[in-house]
Amino acid sequence: MSFIEVRQISKTFKLAKKKSGLKEAIKSFFKREYIYVEAVKDISFSIEKGEIVGYIGPNGAGKSTTIKILSGILNPDKGKCIIDKMVPWEDRKRFVKKIGVVFGQRSQLWWDIPTEDTFLLLKDIYDIPEEEYQKTKEDLVEKLNLKDIINIPVRQLSLGQRMRCEIAASLLHNPEILFLDEPTIGLDAVSKQLVRDFIKRLNKEKQTTIILTSHDTSDLETLAKRIILIGKGQVLYDGSLKKLKNKYETERIVSIKTKEKLEIRNKGIKSKKKNGEGYDIVIDTKVITISELLNIISKKIVIEDIEIDNESLDNIIVKIYKDYKI
Amino acid sequence: MKYYINALGMHLKSELEYRTSFIFSFFSQIIVFFSYYFVIISLFSKFDNIKGFTMYEVLLCFAVIQFGFAFNEVFARGLDKFDSLIVHGTFDRVLLRPRNIIIQVLYNESDFVKSSRLIQSIIILIIAVIKLKIKWSILKIICLLLMLISAVVIFFSIFLLAASYCFITVQGLEVRSVFTDGGKHMAQYPIGIFNKGFIFFFTFIIPYAFVNYYPLLYFIGKSNKVYYAFSPLLLFIYVIPCILIFYLGVKKYESAGS
Amino acid sequence: MKAYYTYFKLKFITGLQYRSAAIAGISTQFFFGFVYIMVFYAFYESGSGSLPMEISALSTYLWLNQSLFALINQFYRDPELFDLIKTGNISYEISRPKNLYLMWYFKLLGQRLSNVVLRFFPIIIITSLLPKPLNFTLPVSPQAFILFLVALSIGTLLVVSLSVLYPIIALLTMNEKGIVNIFAVVADLLSGVVIPIPFFPPILKMISRVLPFQYISDLSFRIYVGDISIQNGIYGIFIQLIWLFITITIGYSIMRHNIKRVVVQGG
Repeated sequence: MSFIEVRQISKTFKLAKKKSGLKEAIKSFFKREYIYVEAVKDISFSIEKGEIVGYIGPNGAGKSTTIKILSGILNPDKGKCIIDKMVPWEDRKRFVKKIGVVFGQRSQLWWDIPTEDTFLLLKDIYDIPEEEYQKTKEDLVEKLNLKDIINIPVRQLSLGQRMRCEIAASLLHNPEILFLDEPTIGLDAVSKQLVRDFIKRLNKEKQTTIILTSHDTSDLETLAKRIILIGKGQVLYDGSLKKLKNKYETERIVSIKTKEKLEIRNKGIKSKKKNGEGYDIVIDTKVITISELLNIISKKIVIEDIEIDNESLDNIIVKIYKDYKI
Repeated sequence: MKYYINALGMHLKSELEYRTSFIFSFFSQIIVFFSYYFVIISLFSKFDNIKGFTMYEVLLCFAVIQFGFAFNEVFARGLDKFDSLIVHGTFDRVLLRPRNIIIQVLYNESDFVKSSRLIQSIIILIIAVIKLKIKWSILKIICLLLMLISAVVIFFSIFLLAASYCFITVQGLEVRSVFTDGGKHMAQYPIGIFNKGFIFFFTFIIPYAFVNYYPLLYFIGKSNKVYYAFSPLLLFIYVIPCILIFYLGVKKYESAGS
Repeated sequence: MKAYYTYFKLKFITGLQYRSAAIAGISTQFFFGFVYIMVFYAFYESGSGSLPMEISALSTYLWLNQSLFALINQFYRDPELFDLIKTGNISYEISRPKNLYLMWYFKLLGQRLSNVVLRFFPIIIITSLLPKPLNFTLPVSPQAFILFLVALSIGTLLVVSLSVLYPIIALLTMNEKGIVNIFAVVADLLSGVVIPIPFFPPILKMISRVLPFQYISDLSFRIYVGDISIQNGIYGIFIQLIWLFITITIGYSIMRHNIKRVVVQGG
C-alpha cells in the first residue's frame, strides 16, 4: 500500500441560498432554500513517500476540501483515506504530529509578538524535546534565512518574511508530510524563489512528502514532477507534468539561426517567418517532431544555433480548463 | 497545562504592546462595572429590602456571580469568541495540533482588560462580607469558596454550550447573551426573589440556584442546613454533559465543515 | 440626496436578512425585560419605600425599553466603520464625492431602523397579553401617543447623531475601544436604558438633566405612560431639538475640519 492512499472520497455541502432585493430578503426570512454542492466526488489517488505532488484546479474545484480531508479537519461522506497506516480523522492527536500545514492566506503566528515566542509555544504543544527543538530551529533559521527577523513582532514583517516564518512554524516538529496551500501567494519574485528552493531542499534532505496547491504555475514547474488536476470535484488528470505538457503542447516555435536561405514545405509546418538572424518555424508536433524537423533542415542548410520555445504551463492550464469546460 | 500558561503569558504580552489602549480599556471596564452595581445601589436608595434581602446581601450575590463571569472572560475568552475562531478558520488550526481541543480553544483568546472586573468584584465581595457581620466558621469559609468556584464552573459550562451552538450556525449568536449576559444579570440577585417558573428553570436547567441562592442562605445565616453549603458541588456534575456536547459539536464540524 | 437614501436602503435591507439575529434579539430582550420587571416587582412587593412610578406604568416603560432596544442603545456599533478606521481603508471613503458625515449618518440610521422593525412588533404584541400589571399597556391618551411618536422620532435622530460620533472619536484618538466604551457606558447609564431616570439617586438625576442622553428615549417613554404631562412633554421636545442640533453640528464640523488632517497624518 502507498504512503498516502485515497479511495473514492466524496463530500457534499449544504448551503443556504441568498438572493438580493427587499422582497427576497423578507421571503428568505421566513423560508430558507438550500442548495447542495458536491465539493468532491469519487476522488482517488495514491502518493508515495518523498513525492512532491502539485494539486491544482480552478477556484472552487475542491482543492481545499481535499486538503482538509487529508489533514483530518474534515471527514468525507464516503470513501477511504489512509495515510501512513492511519485514518486522518480518527486518532487525531497521533496523526497531526506527522503533518505540517501551511495556509498561505491564514497565519498561525501570533500577530503582536515575535515569531520566536510562537515557536516556543509550538515546542510545548508538540512536546518537542529541547535538544531536538534547538537543532530543528537552528536548521530552519539558517535555511530560511530567519536570523534577523525571528525577534521582530510578526505584524512588522513583510509578507515574504512572514511566509518564511509560517513555513518554519509548520516544520518545527519535523512532520513527514507537509501540506502547502498557496505558499507563494502575494510574494515577490525573490521570496518566491527562496521558498521554492527551501521546499526542494527539504524534500531532498528529509524525504518529506509534499502536497502543494498553487495557482502559480512556476511553483509547479520548479517543484512538482507530478500533477493531480481536479475540476468540478473530480480528478481530471494524474501524472507527470511532462506528459501533461506534451499532450497539450502541440504547437511549438523553433527558431533557427542561419545565414543561408531556407526553403521548406513539409507536412506539419504551419508557418515560417523570417526574423533578423534566421527563421521562426511553427510546427504541429503531432505531425512532425522537432528532431524530424531539425533533421530535414540540417540536410538543407547549416544551422548556427537553435532555440525551442516552451509553451508556458499557464497557457496549457487555460487550454485544459477550456477542454473540460471548467 | 504548561503550554496553556505560556500562551496566557503571550496574550498578556501582546495586549501590553498597545499600552494606551490597554489602560483606557481597563478604565472603561471599571465604568462598565460600575453601571452594573449602580442599578442595585439606585434601587436600594428607593427601597430598603427585596423579599427580605438587604443591599449587602444582594451585593454579595452580585459579587460572586460577577467574579465567576469575569474569571471566564479573562481565562476562557476563546469560548466566548468561538464564532470568530470558526469564521476565521482558526479552529482548523486547533484541529491540526496534537492537544486537547478545549484547552487550545481557551488559550486562543484572552482578555486581560476584564481582570479589572475581577478585581472590582473581589473588592465588593469584601465590602459586603464586612458589612454583613458574618459569624465566621470553617464551614462558612468553605461555603464562600465553593460559591466562587461554582460561579466559575457554571459560566464555563454555559460558555461551552454557547460555543457548541456555533457548530450549528454562527448566525443569531445574540441568543448566547440570554444565557451568558442574561443569566449573569439575573443571577446577581438571589434567585429566590423571582417567580416559580424562573426558579425552576434556574435550579434544574441552568443551576444558578446552587451557586448564588442555597449556599447564600447558609452563608448569611438565613438557613442552618449544612448541605446548602455544599450544594455548589453539584456544578461539577453539571459541567460534564456540557463538555460532551461540545465534543459532539466538534464531531459535527469535522463532518460538515464550516 | 439620492446617494444617501441608497445607503440607507442598502443598510436597511441588509439588516432584514439577519433572521436568526432578530429572533435571538427578541428572546434576549424578552429575557432581560422579564428579569428587570421581576426585580422591580419583587421590590414593590417587599413594599417599603417611596414609589417613583406605578408598577403598571413602569412595566410599560420597561417593555418599550426592551422592544426599542435596538433603536436606542448606545452599544450598537457598525463593525464596518470601525474596520475602516482600523485598516486605514477610510481613505477610500474620504475620497468619495459625498459628504462622509451624512453617509455615515444614513448608514447608521438604516441599520438601527431595520434592526428595530424586526424586533419591535413581536415583543409588543406578546407583552400586551401578559397578566396585569406586568403587561404592556396602551398610551395614557391619544395626545400623549402623538407626542410620544414625535419625541421618539427626534430621539432616534439624536441617538444616531451620537453614534456617528463614536467612529469619529475613534478616528481622532486612534483608539477604537477604550474611550468610545467609556462614552457609551456613560451615555447608556444616563439615558435611562439601564434603569429609568425616576429611580436615579438625586445627584445623578441632576447630572442627567443637563446632558442630552435622557432625551433619547426616557422622555418619549415617560410621555407614553403619562409620567410626563403633555405640557412638559412639549417643553422636553423643544430641548430635544436643541440637543439634536448641537450634536449634529459637533459631528459635522469635526468631520469637516479634522478628519482629513488626521488621516493624512496617520498615513
